[in-house]
Amino acid sequence: MMDRLVGLLLLALSISYGVTAGSFQASFGDPLGPAAFPMIVAVPAAILSLAMMIWPGPDAVWSLGRPMLMQGAALAVLVGYSLLLEPLGFPLATALGVSLLARLIGSAWLHGLMAGAGLAGILFFVFDWLLNLPLPALPQFLG
Amino acid sequence: MDILNNLAAGFAVAATPVNLALAVFGCFIGTLVGALPGLGPVNGVAILIPVAFAMKLDPASAMILLTAVYYGTMYGGRISSIMLNIPGDEPAIMTTLDGYPMARSGKAAQALGISAMASFVGATLATVGLTLFAPALARVAIHFGPADYFSLYVMAFATVGGVVGVNPFKTLIAAFLGLMLAAVGLDPGTGIARYTFGTFHLYDGFDPIVAIVGLFAISEVLVYFETAHIGGSPMVPLGRAIPRLREMVQGFPAMLRGAGLGFIAGVLPGAGASLGAFISYTAEKQISNTHDTFGKGDPRGIAAPEAGNNAAAGGALIPMLTLGVPGSGTTAVMLALLISLNIQPGPLLFERSPELVWGLIASLYIANVVLLILNIPMVGIFTRLLSLPQWLLMPLVVMVSFLGIYSISHSPFDLLVMIAFGVFGYLLRKLDFPMVPVVLGLLLGADMENNLRRALSISGGDWGILVQSPIALGIYTVTAVMLALAFRMARRKVSPDPAD
Repeated sequence: MMDRLVGLLLLALSISYGVTAGSFQASFGDPLGPAAFPMIVAVPAAILSLAMMIWPGPDAVWSLGRPMLMQGAALAVLVGYSLLLEPLGFPLATALGVSLLARLIGSAWLHGLMAGAGLAGILFFVFDWLLNLPLPALPQFLG
Repeated sequence: MDILNNLAAGFAVAATPVNLALAVFGCFIGTLVGALPGLGPVNGVAILIPVAFAMKLDPASAMILLTAVYYGTMYGGRISSIMLNIPGDEPAIMTTLDGYPMARSGKAAQALGISAMASFVGATLATVGLTLFAPALARVAIHFGPADYFSLYVMAFATVGGVVGVNPFKTLIAAFLGLMLAAVGLDPGTGIARYTFGTFHLYDGFDPIVAIVGLFAISEVLVYFETAHIGGSPMVPLGRAIPRLREMVQGFPAMLRGAGLGFIAGVLPGAGASLGAFISYTAEKQISNTHDTFGKGDPRGIAAPEAGNNAAAGGALIPMLTLGVPGSGTTAVMLALLISLNIQPGPLLFERSPELVWGLIASLYIANVVLLILNIPMVGIFTRLLSLPQWLLMPLVVMVSFLGIYSISHSPFDLLVMIAFGVFGYLLRKLDFPMVPVVLGLLLGADMENNLRRALSISGGDWGILVQSPIALGIYTVTAVMLALAFRMARRKVSPDPAD
C-alpha cells in the first residue's frame, strides 16, 4: 500500500517536473537547450512510478511511538544546532548540541555535559587551531 | 617497462612526509570507522571528504587520504563482525558467518589474524590488478566521443543496482531522482535558473558533498534512534593478542580464490564489495565444505569473503579512475571529491594528472602494509574502542559531519540542506530505495546532460548520433543484458517457485 502511495507521489512529482521544464526557454546556445534534458528525465521517471504502483513491494515497518519521538527530538537538536551555530559560536553551540544528543541516546546528564564540553573543546582545537579552519569562537552578543 | 617507471614516480609522490602521514592517519581512521557498527566505507569516506576539502589538500593528497580511509574501512569492517556478530559494514556481513562462531570457540585472535591476512592478500592483489589493467583500459577509453560517454552514463545508471539488487524499479527511480536533483540551479549552457523556486541559495544547485554527508551520515542518526533498543550479541574476549603466523596463513588458497573472484566483482559496474564477499564465500563453500564445517568457524569461511571484499574494493577503483563511472557507492563518493576539486576523472586523467593516479596507486601499496600492522599487532586498540559508549561516538560522528560541511561554505543554509538530505535518505532506506543511484544521478547528471547536448550540437540536432558509434552500441547492448538479468533475478526473488 505504502509503495502505491509513494508511486503516486513520485508520478505527480515527475509530471510537474516535466511540465515545469517546458517553461525553460533560451533563444541562443545549443540545439537542445535547457528544457530537453529535464523532460527526457521526467518521462521514464513517470513510467517507472506507474510501474511501482502496479507492482508494489512489501510494506516497510515504521516504528511509531517512542522511537519516532526520539527521531523528532534528534532532528530538532540538529536543526537548532545549525541555526544557533553562528549566533552562539562553535564551542557553546557544540557543547549544547552534544549534551542533548548524548542525553537522547541515554547517557546520564553529567556524562552528557562532560561529553559536550570535551568534544566541543577537542573539535575546536583540532579544526580551528590544528587544521586552521576558522570557526565562530564567541557568541555574537559578546563579539 | 612503462608501468614500473610510472609506479616509481608514484612512490616518490606517496612517500613525501605529508602524504605518508595522511595515508597512516587515513588507515587508522578507516579501520576505526569500519569497525564501528553502522558506519561503513561510504559513511567513513563521506564524513571525511569535507574535512579533506576544507584542509585545502592538493588533489593527490586528498585522494591518498580518502582511499586509505576506504581500504581501512574494508579491513575494519570485519572486527565487529567477528567480535560482536554485527557486521561493521555491509561487505563484512559474510564474515559473521564463520568469524563469530570461531571467536566464540575461544579463537578470536586467530579469526582476527586470518581475516587481516586475507584482507591484505585481497587488497594487495587488487592493487596489482589496478596497476596493470587501469592504464590499459584508459588507453582504450581515450577514443570515446560524447555519444559514447552518454551511453556509458546510461549503463552506469541502469546497472548500479547490480544483478542482485533489490527492486529494479526502485533502483531506476532512485537514479532518476538523482538526475532530477542534478538539474536544479543555473543551467551552465544558458544561465537559465531551473527549479530554484526563486531562492538564490539554490542557484549553484545541490552540492553533491552536502547531499552525500546528509544521505549517509545524518540518516544513520535517524536509523540509530529507531534500532537503539534492539540489543546485539555479547562481545567475545580477545584472548592472546597476537596470533602465530602459521595460524594466519591457514586457508591461503582460499584467500587467493576469494581475491580473484572479488576483484572481478569489483571491476564490473554496479557490483562492489558486498557482492565480492558474497560470491567468494559461496564459491569457497562449494569447493571446501566437504566436512560440513562452514558456518561453524571454518578459517576458510573467513579467509575467502575477507579477501573477496577487499579485492572488490580495489577493483571498483578501476572504472572510477579510468572511465569516471563509479562501480560502487564508495567510489561514487570519491568521484564527488574529484569533481569538487575540478579534476575530471576519465581516460585523460592518466595523461593529465599522472602524479595523482600513480601517487594514489603507490600509496595503496603503502596503505596495505600499514593496515596489516594496524590490524594484527595493534588490533587490540580497535576492539577496545568498540566498547566506547554510543552516547560519545554518535555525537562525535554528527559533529564531524557538521564541521566538515560548515568549513567548506560557512553557510548554515548548507547545514539545513544536509539535514534535509538526511531525512530524505532515511525515507529512502525505509522504503527500500537504494541511495547510491541518487548520489550517482546528482553527481553525473550535469556531465550526462553536457555530453548529450554536445553530441547533438555536433550532429546539428540529429538524434541518430547517439546510436551511430559501435562503442555506444556495444555499451547499450551490455546495458540491456544487465538490465534483463536484474529483472530476471528480481522476479526469481519474488516468486521462489522452482518451476518458474
